[in-house]
Amino acid sequence: MSFDVQLVLLLWGTLVGLDLVSVPQMMIARPLVAGAVAGLILGDGALGLRLGIVFELFQLDVLPVGAARYPEYGPATVVAVSAGHLLTGAGGVAVGVLVGLPVAMLGGLSLHLLRRLNARAVHRVAARIEQGDARALVRVHVGGIVRDAGRAAVVTAIGLAVAWVTRTTIVGVLPERVFVGLAVAATAAALATAWTGTLRLVGRGPLLRWFALGLGGGALAVWLR
Amino acid sequence: MTSRPRLGTSLLRLFTVQGSWNYEYMIGLGVGVAEEPLLRDLPGGPDGAAYHAALGRGAHFFNAHPYLAGLAVGATARAEYEGASPEQIERLRTALAGPLGSLGDRLVWAGWLPFAAGLAIAGVALGLGWVAVAGFLVVYNVGHLALRWWALGAGWRYGTRVPTALHHPGLRRAAAFTAPAMAVSLGLALPLAARYLAGPFGAGSRITLAAGVALGLVLLWWRPGNLTGLRLGLTMLAAGLLVGWVWR
Repeated sequence: MSFDVQLVLLLWGTLVGLDLVSVPQMMIARPLVAGAVAGLILGDGALGLRLGIVFELFQLDVLPVGAARYPEYGPATVVAVSAGHLLTGAGGVAVGVLVGLPVAMLGGLSLHLLRRLNARAVHRVAARIEQGDARALVRVHVGGIVRDAGRAAVVTAIGLAVAWVTRTTIVGVLPERVFVGLAVAATAAALATAWTGTLRLVGRGPLLRWFALGLGGGALAVWLR
Repeated sequence: MTSRPRLGTSLLRLFTVQGSWNYEYMIGLGVGVAEEPLLRDLPGGPDGAAYHAALGRGAHFFNAHPYLAGLAVGATARAEYEGASPEQIERLRTALAGPLGSLGDRLVWAGWLPFAAGLAIAGVALGLGWVAVAGFLVVYNVGHLALRWWALGAGWRYGTRVPTALHHPGLRRAAAFTAPAMAVSLGLALPLAARYLAGPFGAGSRITLAAGVALGLVLLWWRPGNLTGLRLGLTMLAAGLLVGWVWR
């Protein structure tokens, strides 16, 4: 993979990370979008969509309310597609998820750190903000956005480095059977997570009937195909 | 009062409302930044005491759903022009935070977003590929942008009477639609996603996959030691690596 492509992936991962919380929350941070575009960048659209679905299923476990702490699956999906692209058989999903999940955890931790750094930056100019100093207010706000962009870039860069190391070290060593085992485990975890997240959203009330209706439709569509 | 409120500038700034999110002010600073253009025509202009006092209040602690924060921005800015006291403004902000948070979470995070995501997953699994991804972005953001624009406009229109806006029939209709739509959409997506992801596996692997899903569901249902989806994924990957390595 060329350096130029890595740079484009880094830029895309940064935009995806920025979209999650700071600006503009238009959901390019959703794994399905992040993965599809990463696949397009790498010329491996099929893997981008496949890994996008896997991480989108993990994402259904996350409800970003209030000050909740959660993993960051957007840049993780970009990195996963980078790790798994051009691998044959189950290798793409296996290596992608193997690299992507720890990066998602790192992204979540980095968000917590960012929020603490933001609080520290506000403290320094709190008196001026209280007096209605617009310049101080805008500066600290823009500083937060710049800090988030830096955070997303660092998370993506670390992830891309891990992806490169993983591809060059373990991919040639592990037999196909291990890749299949990893891909099955990752898919099983993603599906179980999505089921649990969905059932939590649906609850035990009247929505359960609507869910059953959708489930029936989905099962029918699978049977017909 | 300003003859032509800078609602466009304020709306653009609202897209960054969570830019300085932190555990102490939450989205308070972002709300202040978005409110600032609306306050420039207060008596004395941007150099006046009224502007500075209002801006200082605007940047206090605040938390709400980011898409509905505009309702608070518009309402408090309007209240400043109507001569509401600082205590009234603080009470207004406090009264709005809870309902805007719970309404937005229900409407967007637990409704519109999973609804659109479920449709996108189903679309990709049915072979629509990029069309499904682009469709997700369009469908989701039509609702997203409409909600942000409505919230800011309604806040500015109603001022201190903004709780009236929360009883808007359109909001009730949206809430009544998004919850069942989300349930149907995710119900549709789950079997299709399972079929799509299991496609490349052989028969033996599919049986193992089904057993793995069942095991994962049981573990997540019990939630031993606050097990999350991420932790389950990491645990199952480690198990898959170990089993694959032993049986290689």
